[in-house]
Amino acid sequence: MSTTQKIQDEILKASLKARGRSVEHRKTRDPRRPAAKWVAEARVVGVRGKALSIVLSTIGCSHARGDSGGCTMCSYLLDGTSKSPTPEELIDQFKSALKELDGTDIPHSVKIYTSGSFFDSDEIPDTARREILSIISGLTEVQEVVLETRPEYVTDSVMAEVRGVLGDRAIELGIGLESSSDLVRTVCVNKQFEYDEFRVSVETARRHDIGVRAYVLLKPPFLTESEAIADVKRTIDDLVALKAATISVNPVNIQRNTLVERFWNRRRYRPPWLWSVVEVLQYAHEVSKGEINIVCDPAAAGKIRGTHNCSKCDKAVVDAIRQFSLDGDPRVFAHLNCDCKSLWKHTLEHEGISLLVH
Amino acid sequence: MSLFQIDRGHDGPARVGRIKVGEKELKTPVLAGPSSIQGSHLDYGTISRLDSNAESPMLVTFSFFSRDDSTDLASTPDSLLIPPVPLALSELGHDAIALILEHQLEFITQSLPPDVSARVLVRIPSDCSEETLSKYVPQFVKLGVLGAALSFDGLLGMNDLNTLRIRALLPLQWLVVALGRVSPSFIPLLHYMGFDVMDMGHALEAAAQRERLWPTSTEHVSTVSEARFCPCPSCSSIAVRKSFPTSALELHNTMVYHLILSESQSAMRSGQLRWLVESMTHSSPSNATILRMADTSLSGFMEEFTPTSGPKHLPLIGPESYNSPAVKRFRERVSERYTPPEVKSVVLLLPCSARKPYSDSKTHRRFLSAIDSVPGIRGELAEVILTSPLGVVPRELERMFPASSYDIPVTGTWDFEETSIASQALVTHLTKFSEDSVVVAHVSGGYMDIVKMAEPEIRQGIIYTTVDQSPTRSDSLEALKETLRDVHSGSGKTNPPSYLQYILRSTADYQFGRGAGEILVPDDARIRGKPYGTILCKVHGEQVCAFIGDTGMLSLTLAGGKLIRPLERSWVRFEGDRAKGGSIFAVGIHKADTSIRPGDEVIVLNSSDEVVAVGKSEMSGREMCELTRGRAVSIRHKLEA
Repeated sequence: MSTTQKIQDEILKASLKARGRSVEHRKTRDPRRPAAKWVAEARVVGVRGKALSIVLSTIGCSHARGDSGGCTMCSYLLDGTSKSPTPEELIDQFKSALKELDGTDIPHSVKIYTSGSFFDSDEIPDTARREILSIISGLTEVQEVVLETRPEYVTDSVMAEVRGVLGDRAIELGIGLESSSDLVRTVCVNKQFEYDEFRVSVETARRHDIGVRAYVLLKPPFLTESEAIADVKRTIDDLVALKAATISVNPVNIQRNTLVERFWNRRRYRPPWLWSVVEVLQYAHEVSKGEINIVCDPAAAGKIRGTHNCSKCDKAVVDAIRQFSLDGDPRVFAHLNCDCKSLWKHTLEHEGISLLVH
Repeated sequence: MSLFQIDRGHDGPARVGRIKVGEKELKTPVLAGPSSIQGSHLDYGTISRLDSNAESPMLVTFSFFSRDDSTDLASTPDSLLIPPVPLALSELGHDAIALILEHQLEFITQSLPPDVSARVLVRIPSDCSEETLSKYVPQFVKLGVLGAALSFDGLLGMNDLNTLRIRALLPLQWLVVALGRVSPSFIPLLHYMGFDVMDMGHALEAAAQRERLWPTSTEHVSTVSEARFCPCPSCSSIAVRKSFPTSALELHNTMVYHLILSESQSAMRSGQLRWLVESMTHSSPSNATILRMADTSLSGFMEEFTPTSGPKHLPLIGPESYNSPAVKRFRERVSERYTPPEVKSVVLLLPCSARKPYSDSKTHRRFLSAIDSVPGIRGELAEVILTSPLGVVPRELERMFPASSYDIPVTGTWDFEETSIASQALVTHLTKFSEDSVVVAHVSGGYMDIVKMAEPEIRQGIIYTTVDQSPTRSDSLEALKETLRDVHSGSGKTNPPSYLQYILRSTADYQFGRGAGEILVPDDARIRGKPYGTILCKVHGEQVCAFIGDTGMLSLTLAGGKLIRPLERSWVRFEGDRAKGGSIFAVGIHKADTSIRPGDEVIVLNSSDEVVAVGKSEMSGREMCELTRGRAVSIRHKLEA
């Protein structure tokens, strides 16, 4: 076994340990209500509209439930339940979320998150999936649908089914690629698929005119701030080459019962600087030449558990990032400045040589 | 041949040397900093972030996650290289730490051309265990790496203490680099602990946080109140001392690193680095904590490289001095090696004096004249000076470093620790005298407290000659004379050995271990000279040693070296037949007494174990064995070919 594999093994063990018994001890939820739902302004098929996000309460991500410990930064499965809901209950969850739609006819986007994979039939049984998609097909104002999945569940048959039910709506598959580097994805994220699998699923989806929204992780553990920026930039290059539909930049935030949380508690991890987010968004805008939708909706932004700067400038920078996500205009970043920027620059320069978490 | 060479000179583990980086030769210790600031001796950077204009060789590291298949070594001719290691991986524990080292071994052997390993600095995590270290370090040594890079978090807590511990365990010939958050006030301790390269990157971090660094403090610069005066070029260019651009703070902070390193180097040259390190403990409680902790757990490492001779003036100011290596070693050697002559039946306890040696002081001249007024007592009398923090100093050893040169604040009050240190030393010292001997305590105040504390454990009778008054008052001196007359047995040998012989024997025991005095200075030795000058000792017409009053130490002749050879002490064996020239170099030495310290008088043996020279050591015994360069012994006398 190579040293890198051994290192990967150590990280896997540590991820499992950090997860602990949190998966078994998830609280029981009303199986007829979604874990979360919210409506926000969003860019929908190129114009301003609204997006309804639904987090279905499911048994959770197979990777996170399994004996590989899940991803080093993710505990979304804790939003789910320890007992798998029935297909009827899942459909009820979806219907209850739909009440958020206010009946206006501006373009809407519906995003279905499951804290796992929408196309994993262990998580969402086929009957529930078909019913949910068919409900959407009856809503004319919904012009865009985003469904989340791991790449291994993207097959021609399922894609054909989705395209068949949803007609000519814009469809995107949200896939957590995290990084186009297999080393970063397997070692730092402990996410076990290869870039090639992702590439294949992008091509599979494309055959059905379904786009891929690639989630790119900014600053998984074990990377310096500077390495994290370099890794995201390189990933963006690869996604531009692959013609992904949307790139969603996700700065790591500190979630409960994760390896990242353990490191953060011991001052061996700091969430990314907002300056780093700005830098990669500007870069993405530049290299995508307007052909790819670049978005970023950072969780816990400006808070100690999320991407943050010095606290003085956080609000202004977060606002600019959200504005950019809505209209794709990078000019919002032009006039941002703060004293803390030089500290960020010092971090970029010093963290790698000193290997001291700044 | 290594790019790093250690040169002559020690003050504790601190050392000087030279590293070759490309065409440049840097004299260590040096400061390293990012290439974006001016004024570092050695620039550093991460290979993916190298500025295109960084053409000169520097200290570089690689990203573990770099996606370029081949490490671009062409861009780093002659640079010093730190292998790639993922950030914070060591947090996962012992197995991960072993993997960090394993991976670096792989990197050196598989990703680097063979001749490049001589430029590699191994990254050793601060939480690496001694066991893991001893497993991997020999493998790196075998590959011929240049040294190690260690990292400090700047909190001066357990992490940084562990990093110092690791430093103490590294091969002596390695170049050792201190990276991380290093404040100016920490520089002298790093220098003292033998770091050769120190990171000044914190200068920028502090500037970014609007902090102006000073050698012992940090000043927050605001627009509200006026900043401190500073004559440095960067600060004096600021018209109003409220508006400092970050770049001005960076320049100032950089300047402070140079200031403190230069002070540290100067202190080392004058043998006062330990004093500087101790004085930095007042910059913050954590500076004091880490030195005290290091003194507890790393005293062996510090002592091993502390010269046995020192400056003419050695300030010992606070509690950190009580256990400083030179002080502790003196106490231990007196306790373990000093043996009083049998004829001594009266032990006279005296207070110390500010002037050194004590006998040159006014007070001690009064004591001595009181003693001399009692005919015949001298031969029976063992004079013992009580002092802090050395404990007890037998009169015969008063010219030995550091007894000859220490200087303490005198207030008349002693703290508990110094009282108990001295009291313990006194108890131990008095066990060496017969139970029938008499202890005369001519002391008062804090000295009296020492005797009182020791009294329950003292077997001899004690006579106090001063009651609540200064020992130098004339009635105290009268009382002393009277007591001495009373205790004078008059039955001592008619022709007791001379005081000069006591000095020679005690000094020989102190330097070479118990028993050396009797061998080197037998009863029939011919001795002449003065303690403040030179005392020569001849045996059967041949000089064997000389006591040098200036240093308080004996220097040997070849004949003397042969005499003490059977003691198996202070010997150095070089692989050759006859010593040539004025020095023996470490390259020729494979074995030496590891208890040798820099400055010791040593015997040089040839490969057939004959004494072929005597001289003064320039390094510790272990360095003589491990280093492959540098002067090990300066020869005083040698067997002519």
